[in-house]
Amino acid sequence: MTPASEIGVFAISVAAGLIGALAGVGGGILVIPSLTIVFGVDIHLAVGASIVSVIATSSGAAAAYVRDRVTDMRVGMFLELATTSGAVMGALLAAIVAPALLYLLLGAVLLLSAGMQVGRLGEEIPPHDPPSAIAARLRLSSSYPDRRLGREVPYTARRVPLGFGLMWLAGVVSGLLGIGSGVLKVLAMDAAMRLPMKVSSATSNFMIGVTAAASAGIYLGRGDVDPTIAAPVALGVLTGALVGTRLMNRVSNRSVRLVFLPVLVAVGLETIARGLGFGL
Amino acid sequence: MNPDRFRTMVGLVLAAGVGVSAALIGAGFIAALAVGWQSSLIGPATATSTATTDFGGLAARLLTLEPLAIAQLGLLTLLATPVVRVAASVVAFTLEGDRLYAAITAMVLAILLASAFLLR
Repeated sequence: MTPASEIGVFAISVAAGLIGALAGVGGGILVIPSLTIVFGVDIHLAVGASIVSVIATSSGAAAAYVRDRVTDMRVGMFLELATTSGAVMGALLAAIVAPALLYLLLGAVLLLSAGMQVGRLGEEIPPHDPPSAIAARLRLSSSYPDRRLGREVPYTARRVPLGFGLMWLAGVVSGLLGIGSGVLKVLAMDAAMRLPMKVSSATSNFMIGVTAAASAGIYLGRGDVDPTIAAPVALGVLTGALVGTRLMNRVSNRSVRLVFLPVLVAVGLETIARGLGFGL
Repeated sequence: MNPDRFRTMVGLVLAAGVGVSAALIGAGFIAALAVGWQSSLIGPATATSTATTDFGGLAARLLTLEPLAIAQLGLLTLLATPVVRVAASVVAFTLEGDRLYAAITAMVLAILLASAFLLR
């Protein structure tokens, strides 16, 4: 790549890191098509760069969110059990399952979820109930300091088995299809477990790096990680994530959902396009 | 160990991983913009016409301050950070005396390491 392209890749990655840090996703939805369409990068190298992008968003954002107590580490660790085991299952299934129908199914689920998100656009904080027996046992109740609201916001994870099951499916899907790992995680925590949007996003950010790291070795071994592309992506994403985590403190939960919603729609459409054979 | 110290420990692992990798990738990237990815900052590069995706022989190439090799070391550090974070969490939960979450996190680490062998 020419130095001008390197700078261009860096600039797009800043945007990916910024959106990723706010929405709780890895930025692959922006990085992969930009690299292939705008810069003519081979799809394998673009996917390799997107793995780097996911891990950079995750670690960069989580470093700040863990410090600011927005990440719920217990929820994250507990759900990582589901996503990592699901990802292994997905990768094993990949050899025997035809993915076209799965892409269409996942795309439909994501777009349907997007419709349900619209109904929650006005909600700042989900209703706070006493914890269920299983949430109490796993200590999945906590609070986070909301700088925008200027107070500590208590919350409890609801429907824990459903959330765990959805996370397992999120792992299977990302292992199988390699798409949507971040949006599915946010949806499982927001829609099923009813955690505050900022907590869902920050905890998703905390988790996606682990899911991606599980497969990073494979991409490295295949020669899909090209430093001349991955280096500007990593630097851009880390810069964007740094800005995004600062923004998170200033904006409301509603605004975070407003950033998440278009990302969800974009991933849904991209997934359907792949199912129909128009993959990027 | 109280929850704040636990949080600090995990946060520090993440910040250190990100900081070190950003410094290495940044140094490699800026050096590459100055002299090109395939050159070296001191003397001739040892890696003659190797593919840029090759992570082998990194130590020897680092000695010649090859921008590509510096960036590759940074990328490896970045990719390893989440795994190190999980490992640090096992230690932190254990020190905190939280057996349930120490066990949960140890299982996550075991699955991660198993997948590294299983999925290739």
